[in-house]
Amino acid sequence: MDFGFWLFQTLNALQLSMLLFLLSVGLTVIFGLMHFVNLAHGALYAVGAYVAATVAGTVGYWAGLITAPLVVAELGLLLYWLLIRRMRQSGPMAQVLVTFGLIFVLLDLTRIVWGDIALGIEVPQALAGRIEIGGVTYPVYRLFIIALGAAIFAALALVLARTQIGAMIRAGVDNDKMAACLGINVERLFLAVFCVGCGLAGLAGAVAAPILSVTPDMGLQILIPTLIVVVIGGLGSLWGAMAGSLIFGFVQTFGAVLLPGLASVLIYALLAAVLILRPAGMFPARG
Amino acid sequence: MFRLSPLRLGTLALLLAAATGAAFASGFAGLEMLTEILILAILVIALDMVAGFGGMVSLCHGALMGAGAYAFAMAGLSLGLPVWAAMLFAVLFTGAVGWIVGAICAGSQGIYFIMVTLAFGQMGYSFVFESPIFGGDDGLAGLARPDLSALGIDLNTSRAFALYCLAALVLVVLAAAQILRSGLGRALVGIRDNERRMRALGLTVWRTKAHLFGLSGMIAGVAGVLAAQHVMYISPGLLAWTVSGEALVVVILGGLGTFVGPIVGAVAFVVLRHEVSAITPYWHLVVGLILIAVVMSRANGIFGFVEDRLSRMSARRAARAAAPRGEPHDA
Repeated sequence: MDFGFWLFQTLNALQLSMLLFLLSVGLTVIFGLMHFVNLAHGALYAVGAYVAATVAGTVGYWAGLITAPLVVAELGLLLYWLLIRRMRQSGPMAQVLVTFGLIFVLLDLTRIVWGDIALGIEVPQALAGRIEIGGVTYPVYRLFIIALGAAIFAALALVLARTQIGAMIRAGVDNDKMAACLGINVERLFLAVFCVGCGLAGLAGAVAAPILSVTPDMGLQILIPTLIVVVIGGLGSLWGAMAGSLIFGFVQTFGAVLLPGLASVLIYALLAAVLILRPAGMFPARG
Repeated sequence: MFRLSPLRLGTLALLLAAATGAAFASGFAGLEMLTEILILAILVIALDMVAGFGGMVSLCHGALMGAGAYAFAMAGLSLGLPVWAAMLFAVLFTGAVGWIVGAICAGSQGIYFIMVTLAFGQMGYSFVFESPIFGGDDGLAGLARPDLSALGIDLNTSRAFALYCLAALVLVVLAAAQILRSGLGRALVGIRDNERRMRALGLTVWRTKAHLFGLSGMIAGVAGVLAAQHVMYISPGLLAWTVSGEALVVVILGGLGTFVGPIVGAVAFVVLRHEVSAITPYWHLVVGLILIAVVMSRANGIFGFVEDRLSRMSARRAARAAAPRGEPHDA
């Protein structure tokens, strides 16, 4: 186990973390802003992957990468008007159940539209191949995922900390009733955040499509890790989503290499420990 | 508070009669379906006990059932216990696991409770999936059904096995009713309605929750043992979180906290799956839409809806009967 090994595994962990970050950031901000639990977030990610695969097959990879988030954001808008608007005042169990039903519906709809066969898409020409860094050769595309995740994180952090809409979102997370009293249209803010969150889930699907095979149940597989990230990080917090993603990525990757057979148990034990010791997560958005 | 109203008792009697009739009248396919319904009914009674009467919405009951199935298999295959002893061991083991999970989760509320139980369930799933002693992905085969040949019953026929499951369900219903009627069960309902008041009354809240979760775990363990004996083979899929999710769907479909409703839900769910699967492979689409419709209608499932309508009707009748005396200045 030399330096190259550690670097290689660190890059793997970072790549997994960034993928999870793209998924969990939307979920966590929706959760924090409106106390809404959207279990169908993973299903939206699967839809994003399918849209990207379809567009990439006909037009090209980059078109798919741009189309997928837009289509999934539109889908989010539709879901909002049909279901979520009416579920805002319900308890957590009703929300969990409705979005659980939504998982079933979206799962079968993707099977009806795209069939049961796994789709795969090619890595674009510009990002194909491997390059050498620090003595290890690493696929360029995976480095692109790391860079993209970091760029999105930086952009979101900037928007949240420095812009007026960011201040409004922070106010909404902190105390939505008071924010509404101050003249912020919290409901419209939620809609915007919800669509952006769904779009990011679609983007994650598009980014993941070339490295994972695109199957109808990919959304179910990613859902649990995403929820773990959100809960470990703390609901509603951008930094929490990043921290949770990094913790999950590193524990999962290094656990699989160093303690094979115990890696996933380790993750769940960590989650249970966080929930018991710090029920609001490591970096909760409210004090 | 838990009460076995005439409507609930009547529905239970009707269900029991229907199940007995079906056990003697149906062919092989019908008996397999009946057995599936009976095992699912036991699992959802366990879930309704904690979710409906305790407000503890658990997403680990599938995993508890799986724990029961694996405990039964391991006790028989590795420890070499006789079948009855293995069954007893499995039920006690699942109860102990349930008690521990309940004790740890007792402090969590709402969405956090759902998440922690989900985490524990998935922990069990990964543990079983990744451990070679449990057969990993391949599962375990060669599980035994109890030998009742002394009574002249051959449990290897599907009719006898369905009746055996029915007997187990009847015992579980009686036990669950007894638990919910006891002081412990009343304390649980009190916690659901107002935890702070129960604490002020001097109740150790976490202990009540843990006890009930343990008892519910034992019932889930019974379902696990029966599921293992039914197919005589188990795989980690039994513990997956979607099994817990489906159990919750069944409880909601039937009526949360109505005691009888979940059994009605189990019947509706299995029959619906069977009928829809015969028409289209997209059975999940149908159940998803039904689930969304039921939750959004704000009715408390099938049985809850009927119960609500009937109680409103009898209230109206009582009001009408009382009306002449209620308007003295009209006369």
